[in-house]
Amino acid sequence: MTDSTESPDLTRRNGFTRIKEGTYGGLFAVCAIVTLLTTVAIFATLLYDAVVFFSEVPVVEFLTSTEWSPNPAGGGQTFGIVPLLIGTVTVTVMAAFIALPIGTLTAIYLSEYATPNARSILKPLLEILAGIPTVVYGYFALVYVTPALKATLFPEMSTFNALSASLMIGIMTIPMVSSISEDAMSAVPDSLRQAGYGLGATKFEVSTGIVVPASISGIASSYILAVSRAVGETMIVVVAMGAQARMPAVREAVFGIPYVNPADVLLDSGMTITVAMVQIAGGDLVGGTLPYDSMFALGLALFVVTLVMNVLSDIIAERYREEY
Amino acid sequence: MATDTPSEAGFGEVSRVRGIVFEYLSLGASVAGLLALGILLVYVAVDAFDLANASPEWLLTYFLTLVVPYLGFCLYSVGDPTVTRRAVAALGGGLVAVAGLFVGIETFVSPIPRLNWPVAYLFVVVIPLTAYLTYVGNQGRVGAVGLGLIGRAVGGAAVGLAVGTLFLVFDQFVWFLAYTFGVFPAVALYVYARRSPSSRAATAAPVVGVVGILLAVFARETISTYPSDLLIFLWTIAIPVAVVGERLVTARGGRTAGLLAGGVPLALAVAGGFLAGTVGLPGPDILVVVALVGTAVAVYLQRVIEDGEGLAGLALPVLLVAGPLVGALVVGAWGVPAPDPWLDVGFLTEAPSRNAVEAGLYPAIVGSVIIIAIVAVLSFALGVGTAVFLEEYTAETGLVGTLTRILQINIANLAAIPSVVYGLLGLGLFANLLGLGFGTALTVSLTLSLLILPITIVSAQEAIRSVPDEFRRGSDAMGATRWQTTKNVVLPEAMPGILTGTILALGRAIGETAPLIMVGAATTVFSAPNSLFSKFSAMPMQIYAWADFPQPEFRYGVVAAGVMTLLVVLIGMNGTAILLRNRAERGS
Amino acid sequence: MSNTETETKTESDGSDSLITTDVQAEQNDRSAPSTRTAVAARNLNVYYGDEQAIKDVTMDIPEKRVTALIGPSGCGKSTFLRTINRMNDMIDICRVEGDVEFGGKNVYDPDVDPVALRRKIGMVFQKPNPFPKSIRDNVAYGLKIQGFDSDVDARVEESLKGAALYEEVKDQLDSSGLELSGGQQQRLCIARAIAPDPEVILMDEPTSALDPVAASKIEDLIDDLAEEYTVIIVTHNMQQAARISDRTAVFLTGGELVEYDDTAKIFEDPEEQRVEDYITGKFG
Repeated sequence: MTDSTESPDLTRRNGFTRIKEGTYGGLFAVCAIVTLLTTVAIFATLLYDAVVFFSEVPVVEFLTSTEWSPNPAGGGQTFGIVPLLIGTVTVTVMAAFIALPIGTLTAIYLSEYATPNARSILKPLLEILAGIPTVVYGYFALVYVTPALKATLFPEMSTFNALSASLMIGIMTIPMVSSISEDAMSAVPDSLRQAGYGLGATKFEVSTGIVVPASISGIASSYILAVSRAVGETMIVVVAMGAQARMPAVREAVFGIPYVNPADVLLDSGMTITVAMVQIAGGDLVGGTLPYDSMFALGLALFVVTLVMNVLSDIIAERYREEY
Repeated sequence: MATDTPSEAGFGEVSRVRGIVFEYLSLGASVAGLLALGILLVYVAVDAFDLANASPEWLLTYFLTLVVPYLGFCLYSVGDPTVTRRAVAALGGGLVAVAGLFVGIETFVSPIPRLNWPVAYLFVVVIPLTAYLTYVGNQGRVGAVGLGLIGRAVGGAAVGLAVGTLFLVFDQFVWFLAYTFGVFPAVALYVYARRSPSSRAATAAPVVGVVGILLAVFARETISTYPSDLLIFLWTIAIPVAVVGERLVTARGGRTAGLLAGGVPLALAVAGGFLAGTVGLPGPDILVVVALVGTAVAVYLQRVIEDGEGLAGLALPVLLVAGPLVGALVVGAWGVPAPDPWLDVGFLTEAPSRNAVEAGLYPAIVGSVIIIAIVAVLSFALGVGTAVFLEEYTAETGLVGTLTRILQINIANLAAIPSVVYGLLGLGLFANLLGLGFGTALTVSLTLSLLILPITIVSAQEAIRSVPDEFRRGSDAMGATRWQTTKNVVLPEAMPGILTGTILALGRAIGETAPLIMVGAATTVFSAPNSLFSKFSAMPMQIYAWADFPQPEFRYGVVAAGVMTLLVVLIGMNGTAILLRNRAERGS
Repeated sequence: MSNTETETKTESDGSDSLITTDVQAEQNDRSAPSTRTAVAARNLNVYYGDEQAIKDVTMDIPEKRVTALIGPSGCGKSTFLRTINRMNDMIDICRVEGDVEFGGKNVYDPDVDPVALRRKIGMVFQKPNPFPKSIRDNVAYGLKIQGFDSDVDARVEESLKGAALYEEVKDQLDSSGLELSGGQQQRLCIARAIAPDPEVILMDEPTSALDPVAASKIEDLIDDLAEEYTVIIVTHNMQQAARISDRTAVFLTGGELVEYDDTAKIFEDPEEQRVEDYITGKFG
């Protein structure tokens, strides 16, 4: 039908341009693949040495033994993760005691009460809390917080203790809770709040009775992320908590039930999974020894735990995104 | 209101007590963490600068010679009597309030260790007020000019020192050859191509550059005589910087101004470099620093003078130099006891030592600078590449779509992996498997690059996503290929955001310690590293090492000084990032 | 920035007044039917997922004439426009069946490079979208990406003149294109589109985001452009179609091409009752 004499050449694209386009696309794809390879490399590295380790030390012994003494010099080598787990759980729970309530309240304040001006000042300031290097927090805990606590509240506290370290981890993770929770609260549609006010609710009742429940999955996901961060935190505990893998003393029974005094755990030094890794790495690093391999076993445990938590938090967060 | 028996006809009142308590509780929670951190930072500063031993007279002297003139400058720049009144009220009222409260607590509650009321006043009133007035003063033209000048001088010096530091590890002779055979011809060719109509020379420029650099690497082995370091830095750094300055100024202010702006700093730099060399100071470093500072200042001066506004701001550097000098004279004449800060020039230029007084951070600072330089290049390239791929090169559906989703989830998960696990990756992969060595700069840098990569990618993605789609569609409709659209439209618009995100991520890398320990970085090295494969330390590593020392001189002195140095570097980086972002926001 | 905008706008306002819409007078020179077809659709069907956006459209668009596509919202006229330069390729769920011929070649043939195609077909969007670059760089953009590096300045000037913008901006070629007023921005986009000398210019409601004065300038300009280019314009504004176009295609809901004829015929004596209803405002 078209009676055009010469048809425009729509196919021509000289080889050079084609190659150039392909090269750039390929380069970017390679960059993106690097991120994938990183995950694979992390997993492979951990698994490779962990498998060697578990061929020497049975998994069951690793998971149930109550003693951690990787150093061959001091008698027998025992690799039991239980005392490390106790240390990690102690620190994490204590840090969560600080970060979760403070972070949630901060989020409520920022989302419901603060003026735009106050929010624009507070939010970047809170981010500073997460930006301070963790070794600095560790130093704060060791040099300022512990002596202060010892002088005032807990005279029996030892120089290296779990409490100061947990306090600092708690402060560090506040912005993680507050920023994600605040996002979730801000996503609650205003119509819900209006409905509450229309029923004669006070601002307090709207905040706690409507906004918080509506954003609960976002808040929960922020909690999980903060906890996962506390589990993996290293330098604060390394500097401030010391490096003694201990099982807490079980006290005489009260009402027939034996118990552990929390002060025994909190005010004394202890060891987390991360500290155990750093302690081995800080010595002479020789590949192929059992302590060396045990680091990777611990790393694998840490990797799996944080990964599961992250996926969990993702799934929970996904729910609230779908709600509105 | 209409009724006169309110007790019966009113609506009654719902109790607000709980609500008010809750509001203040949540406000308190918001500031609790900040307050705790603030108190800790005050103590570190007090320890690092030995302010506990600063006599009130000493503080007063410097308050009068340095702080008051600076605040006056800021207030002059604001030019608003209300602000001035408020500032004076804050200074005066703050003095009474802080002193009263402090003495009250000391008398009735308990003594406050290692603080006295003048120091408390300094941190509670003077420093926040100074920060605030700097911020508002910068809104005025005079203040903007003064602070801009200071910023360029400090920035130029920092870049100059960092460049000098890099050449401790990188071979200046290779750089000399690479510049002479690769960079210089390529740039010359490109400039020629830009000026002459219808020339294909621009396409050849990158090729020439790459060939020249490769040539340089091979030639390094065969050539044995080289010019002195001073001449190398003059040829490869000072002269190009001066030429750039000259071009910038000529374009705006004409030939004479251009020659002055290029020539004077260059002459000063050459003179400074030669003279410093004769008295035993590091001549090449001084040459580079003077050239960078001088050119940056000269270019800025020309612009300010041409605008002709806020010229009074140019007096700020004089104020800031003269103030401490006068202060020192007064203190010396008066015989006031001065504090002996741990964080002084010696701390920054000397090696660590068992003796607290002699201990310094120099090798660790060098290590950190070099690590950050490599990490910056690697994570920027990888981060931007990945972000561009994810935002511009993918589809929603099909195989590529699936790949994109996997990548995106994977990046989110990478960000959540503890840094100590990245350390294990570095140990197992880079140090052992690839044989890059335990604790070498290369191993450490690669590990940290991967560690901050997720943060860099996510921020770069956000920056790219914020470029309006209509720009892309416009470019596509012109028949631009995907790469042309990305290069010409998307990346220029996204660049400030990308840079901001990268600098913030680098701030994370500079403070990381656990991965360094895991890959076997040295806690203490006594001399600056001299190759990529020599044993390295970094600032946080050294702080970690010192924190273990039980002596109080270390705990409350040397470590505090180290922490302070690290924090100042961090503040500098984050400040730069924020400035960059603000400027970009103002620009658009 | 808003300051400059108003200033430049008032400056330019004085130079031109609202044009009279003497359709006959303006179309005289182009009233003879065009002998050649620039773009043709053959049994074209376009789907977004399961939804059909264009339904079996066949039409010939004449060369160097203004062809207007009108119809109610969602009738597929914009989709049709974007099918011509394959901008719909960017939408993953979009599927095209049938042929769109440009210069005798089906642009959906597998050997056609959409990038090469778009270099022959310029496009102007509803909202002015100059790049955040200088006016000069905006106009030179197409030249740059196609690798022209000779006489760039001359071609920039020529294109700006072609878009009736040169006199207003000749002293500020290095200032940002975003500093211009809306109407100027749209003319800058037209200059950008014609700089690489395309054969066809697609316009997607180019005046709907502009005030009436700025819009009338664009309309004048479209008239001039038809001397050299084939212009295909989507518009909501029936008066506009009547004023500026030689041929008019009416699309109605469902992506159906209901009637396609000389503009005068469509507006004075349409064949289809539905078209008459639409034009007289009884429908849509």
